[in-house]
Amino acid sequence: MWTILSGIFLGWSLGANDSANIFGTGVATGTVRYRTAILLTAFFVLVGAILEGPKCMRTVGELSTVLPMEAFVCALAAAVTMTLLTILAVPASASQAIVGAILGAGIISGTADFSQLYKIVVCWVFTPIAGITISYSLYRILYFLLQRSAVGITTRNLIYSTGILVTGSYGAYCLGSNNVANVTGVYVGAGILTSETAALIGGLSIAFGVLTYSRKVMMTVGKGIVPLDPFSALIAVLAAALTLHIFTQIGVPVSSSQAVVGAVVGIGLVGDVRTVQFRMLMKISGGWIMTPLTAGILAYVPIRWIL
Amino acid sequence: MVFRKIFSQGKKELDVIDDIRRQIKLLCSACEIFRTALEKQDRELFWDVIDLEREGDSIRREVVSHIYEGAFLPYLRPDLCKFVEIVDEVLGLVKDAASLGLNMELPEQLKDDCTRVALLNFRMSEMLLFTYEAVVKGQDPREKMLAIRIYEKKIDDLKAAIFGEAYRIPIRDFWTGKRLSDMIKGLTMISDMVEDASDHLQIIHVSMR
Amino acid sequence: MRVDEFMTTKIETIDENGSVYDAVETMVNRRIRSLVVLGHGRDSVDGVVTARDVVFKVLAKGLNPKNVKVAEIASRPIICVDGGMDFQEVSTLMEKSNIARVFICEQGKVKGLVSLLDLMAAELIMRARGDHGF
Repeated sequence: MWTILSGIFLGWSLGANDSANIFGTGVATGTVRYRTAILLTAFFVLVGAILEGPKCMRTVGELSTVLPMEAFVCALAAAVTMTLLTILAVPASASQAIVGAILGAGIISGTADFSQLYKIVVCWVFTPIAGITISYSLYRILYFLLQRSAVGITTRNLIYSTGILVTGSYGAYCLGSNNVANVTGVYVGAGILTSETAALIGGLSIAFGVLTYSRKVMMTVGKGIVPLDPFSALIAVLAAALTLHIFTQIGVPVSSSQAVVGAVVGIGLVGDVRTVQFRMLMKISGGWIMTPLTAGILAYVPIRWIL
Repeated sequence: MVFRKIFSQGKKELDVIDDIRRQIKLLCSACEIFRTALEKQDRELFWDVIDLEREGDSIRREVVSHIYEGAFLPYLRPDLCKFVEIVDEVLGLVKDAASLGLNMELPEQLKDDCTRVALLNFRMSEMLLFTYEAVVKGQDPREKMLAIRIYEKKIDDLKAAIFGEAYRIPIRDFWTGKRLSDMIKGLTMISDMVEDASDHLQIIHVSMR
Repeated sequence: MRVDEFMTTKIETIDENGSVYDAVETMVNRRIRSLVVLGHGRDSVDGVVTARDVVFKVLAKGLNPKNVKVAEIASRPIICVDGGMDFQEVSTLMEKSNIARVFICEQGKVKGLVSLLDLMAAELIMRARGDHGF
């Protein structure tokens, strides 16, 4: 049972790293207080994990047959990778980390099911694309409606300030429901936990990470990519949340970071492509390549030589 | 508890908007009274203008403290405060002109043009109020800002004529001359500042889109 | 809006015996398009000379402006309106008389003038104030 400890560690680092995708802009611009942001995120992540988390558990579990001990190592490898990237303040993908780790372990035992991998990778590729498409469309439509409605600045101010809270909560819900499978899905595959228990434990660990270590990444994501006005920030979070929610229904855990970056790029496309800071994009893309690789190696090595 | 916070949020912003509206209306009154005072050489009215400026100053302080108590999104606050401060500065200019008016009388050859400038200042401040209302409603203030620029151009022309005429007036002593110079300069600077204020309204309008 | 709220009060004048050349000099220097022509004597009437008058009646005909007196090309009498007149009425009047400017007079004295540009500016201002129906 103690093997789930590494999963909890993984959940913690996911919470610390990914929560910035939701309220990053809000906190960095001072629109939302840090305390409010993390409380809302933690709560709704847990709700999302419990209500819809099990939907993605199967996909993670079926990647390769994993023994409890190997599950421990996989989650640990993924967690270490995530923590490393969090310290470097690079938004990282837990999905890629855990999948990299599981496959690394699977290569050794020979049970790695690469056919599943294709489905997952396709979803990974489509995550930012979906983010771009949804945010671009949402922006255009909602902007048009907002202009039409001719509301005054006080009403608009109210819409933005409550909107950011509402979309953020929804975003946290979607993060929980989609990503909890990354955290504890591997234990469902190893047969240690049921989907529901895994969702609960995973959700709690993510919430814990949000509450304790998310400040640093929040400040980077908020200011790093695109200078976002309140309306754009709202659309970005909403689009990313919708993207995650769609992939939850498909059953594949994807990267919330990629969804957000896609959403932000989509908004940038509405105005001027040059609004996206290229350097930051490069840094993030680098992380996406290094993540599965690092995690895979970190899983492969201990299992090969120790177990 | 959350709902109360949301509703009180809306109220805070409405209060700020109302206060700023009061401030601009005060400016309009000040300009109107000043013009009448100039025309009729009425000392009482000059004192009224000075009182109005003091009232405007206290409104400014109220608005700024309400804003920093948490009205409006953080990125909007500096622009709102800057606008309020500019309006306060204009009121200050009108008050300065009124103070001068208490101690001097305009030479005959300048009276007509100066009263015209005072009238146009009043019209400009009215237009500033219209611009403000448009921005608050979320409408494009472009038309009204154009009107402000037209008034400003008219005043500029008058300013050239006034100064040209003023240079020909024989001055008794330094302080008389200084008072006259300060009065004319103050009168004509009001329009520049009102135009500046309207530019800031445009900034606020764009930030809120 | 009253017409006298938007008039130009700086009116330049020229003596009727002055040359067209002097008129051109003044107009170009002050960047204005018309001058009030002051008449001599008891029965004389003031007139106005405009840029159109100078260009069409003198320059286009190849005449030397130094040899032509202002009195020869001026239009008399000046067309005056009351300061309280409405802008709409003034526009109509100017259209009927085909003139580009009109003078605002009070008890026979010229107080100011309103040009086509002034009329357009007034229109913008009235729109901004919401004075119109449209």
